[in-house]
Amino acid sequence: MTDDLLEISGMHKSFGGLKVIDDVSFNVRRSSRTALIGPNGAGKTTVFNLLTGVYPIDAGTIAVDGQDITDVPPQDRVTVGMSRSFQNIRLMPHLSTVENVMLGQHARARKLGNLLFPLGMLPRNKWRRAAEEALDKAGVGTYPGEIVSNLPYGVQKRIEVVRAMVSDPKLLLLDEPAAGLNKTETNQLQELLERVSDQGVTILVVEHDMQFVRDLCDYIVVLNFGRKIFEGTPDEVHKDPAVLEAYLGTDEDTAEAANAS
Amino acid sequence: MSGYLESQLIILCLSIVYAYGIFLPAASGQLNLGAAGFITLGAYASAWFNASTGAELPIWLSIPLAMIFTGVIAFAISFPILRTRGVYMVLATFAFAEVVSGVAINLEFVGGAAGFPVDDHADVTVIVPVTIAVILFSFYFMSTRLGLSLRSIHDDESVATLFGVNVRTSKVVAFTVGAMLMSLGGSLYGHHYNYIEAQTFNVLLSIYILLYVLMGGTQTAWGPLIGATFFAVVPETLREIAESAGLKWLAEGRFILFGVFIVLLMVFRPEGVMTRTLQDRLGGGLFRRKKPVADEMTGGS
Amino acid sequence: MLIIQQLVNGLMLGGVYVMVAVAFTLIIGMLNFLNFTIPALFMFAAVLMYATMMGHLPFGNDLILSIFGTEYRWVAGIIVALVVIALVSLVIERFTYRYMKAKYGDATEHALPLVSSLGFLIIFEHLVVSTWGSDPLTATSPFGQGTFSVDTIIFSVPQIVSLVLSLVVVVMLSVMLKATKLGRALRAIAERPDTAILMGVEVSRIVPVVYVITGLLCAVSGILFTINYATVDAYVGDTVATVAIAGMVLGGLGNVWGAIIGGLFIGMLEVMSIYIVGADFAKLPIWGLLLVLLVFKPTGLFGHTLIGKGKF
Repeated sequence: MTDDLLEISGMHKSFGGLKVIDDVSFNVRRSSRTALIGPNGAGKTTVFNLLTGVYPIDAGTIAVDGQDITDVPPQDRVTVGMSRSFQNIRLMPHLSTVENVMLGQHARARKLGNLLFPLGMLPRNKWRRAAEEALDKAGVGTYPGEIVSNLPYGVQKRIEVVRAMVSDPKLLLLDEPAAGLNKTETNQLQELLERVSDQGVTILVVEHDMQFVRDLCDYIVVLNFGRKIFEGTPDEVHKDPAVLEAYLGTDEDTAEAANAS
Repeated sequence: MSGYLESQLIILCLSIVYAYGIFLPAASGQLNLGAAGFITLGAYASAWFNASTGAELPIWLSIPLAMIFTGVIAFAISFPILRTRGVYMVLATFAFAEVVSGVAINLEFVGGAAGFPVDDHADVTVIVPVTIAVILFSFYFMSTRLGLSLRSIHDDESVATLFGVNVRTSKVVAFTVGAMLMSLGGSLYGHHYNYIEAQTFNVLLSIYILLYVLMGGTQTAWGPLIGATFFAVVPETLREIAESAGLKWLAEGRFILFGVFIVLLMVFRPEGVMTRTLQDRLGGGLFRRKKPVADEMTGGS
Repeated sequence: MLIIQQLVNGLMLGGVYVMVAVAFTLIIGMLNFLNFTIPALFMFAAVLMYATMMGHLPFGNDLILSIFGTEYRWVAGIIVALVVIALVSLVIERFTYRYMKAKYGDATEHALPLVSSLGFLIIFEHLVVSTWGSDPLTATSPFGQGTFSVDTIIFSVPQIVSLVLSLVVVVMLSVMLKATKLGRALRAIAERPDTAILMGVEVSRIVPVVYVITGLLCAVSGILFTINYATVDAYVGDTVATVAIAGMVLGGLGNVWGAIIGGLFIGMLEVMSIYIVGADFAKLPIWGLLLVLLVFKPTGLFGHTLIGKGKF
């Protein structure tokens, strides 16, 4: 078992003539809570898209738990232990809360027997109970049957995180999970993620909320214009001149946080 | 049951079976305008398997065999057809139905353009139970994880993929099983009226079935049932009312009213009559709340 | 040579259908849906032309007779058909234009305009049947049977006029799309609906124009059909639809010139098929060709130039 759960090496991606990811390499240590930060447009979500296989990588390798997954097709990446949430909520609008979460279980339920089991008709089945439990633990357990498009934004965001969690991933990729959440919701999210991390799941989170990042994460990777410009602990990060330059004038939180330290 | 009511019931049952055949692919977002093609395949195959000039098999064999036959064809063409998207898929399925019709008319050993008599008879006692079985099967199918995958694909194909759903396989299954249901409907038609001709299964039929399904709603398995029932029952009812009330224009104009209704429904309720939210409000609410609403904003009860 | 005569007949037939193919292709290209009302508008125009010429309108026959006289009722027919279709198109637009409001990514909700158009198709077909019956309706052509021959091949004057007229109309349309402000706005909507709004294109005012233009194309086609073939019924829309849709696909969805060439070609293919294998079998080559095309080369012969975004 290697120390690093995720190893990204020499990642390159261009769209048309535009290079959006330029030679990005970093590793994410097992069971760590790492943040991927950078100004808007730095390429953070693109990195996630490349990791999950939404786009094919132009050059470079990605390895999870020692296994090279660069050529693994997107629908199989979840079976190697990767799961993600999205920047803009991408829950299935016509499915209920618990059904959305059950979709998250799909990778673990691909056997024919599971596929043909009438989930909807026997409501006390183990998959549904597991989904409801997960929702409960995340504090969004009061709405299992509600159609998600009727729910408030903050609740939907957390349901997305739960969906990503129930596939039992080794690596949880969260894209701005705290965006749009109020103080209380953010704290709840943080508690949830801390608990998940304590169970051994590695977390890689993209975020703009620097307070959240500093409270939750133990390691930070900084991107700008598709390149990695720094990696280190939260304390080291905001002293680095390159990082400050990247953020000056664009992100008040960082500047404030920098001044406050 | 009076002869008239019985014949109406048969029409209703056949419409329901056809509708579920289109519903399965529609639930995953695929619009199939080729219902007539699969219905034709089912009708002709079963007729031939059953005929004394054909395989001379009993009806309880000829119908399933026809379903398998149609299933194989549907499976085979599902691969090229599922490569098309949106309007192209509508046109491709439409073209497929026309090709089937064109071929059927020319096959002399099943009567060609003159039509083909069908030997065994299937009456209400066969058709109604089979229809109920189809309805139950469809509800079951949509309640499985496979059904969940289909509905996820409908909502967001790329995210479904990222969670491990094999989109291609799911769509092929939906398409093929749907085709087999339509084939069943066609076989039942043939064995009930004991005569088939390719011209009966025309474009208008494909259009109507797709309309039933879209108007009933593709989000739940109730949709096709509602759509088919409404479409089979309302025009006749309107005609009855009109005739007894002496409103001649209503009797003849009922299809016009029909068309108007379709247009208005698309304006005011484009997802169809039965949506997931409505189903929830009507009865699924049993599982909606487990405990009193906690104040989510402050995070505790 | 009989074959060449058939080819010529097919070309003439195609000429009448071409405008319907163009109408289909414009709506697919600009508004991104298959508008099944188009063949119904064609049929309605053809029937209105017949009814005006033969004095069988539900009302106004005497008025028309008094203004135009029996000789020039065909002029009234043209006016009636064009005006009614234009108005009807505006009504239809009100009730089917929702593509911009439909969310992307949901194919069945995107089917909304398609379903509405099917609703209108049903309305028109039954409207015609209940007003004029479902039997064939014959009009006496104002131009007689004017024909001329080159070698042994017979050309019908009205049909040549139709073909030329069709081409002229479509050329004008093409020019309009390329060179006028309206045309630029239409192309903007086709290519990037969201940015079109930002660029100041008043989409909600332009879309009705698209509906009216395509409606008028069908109307002209329907008028020419009645003049040329004299016998119409409530179901002529169906035959046109086959050729027009096939032509559109062959030429590439959204491609105006493709639709013309495609329409002409399919017209010829239809006539040849009927001649070679008989009317019953004629469908097969056309739809078989279409199926193969859709699967292997959906962009058709010339690709789509005006195709917009979105799945439907």
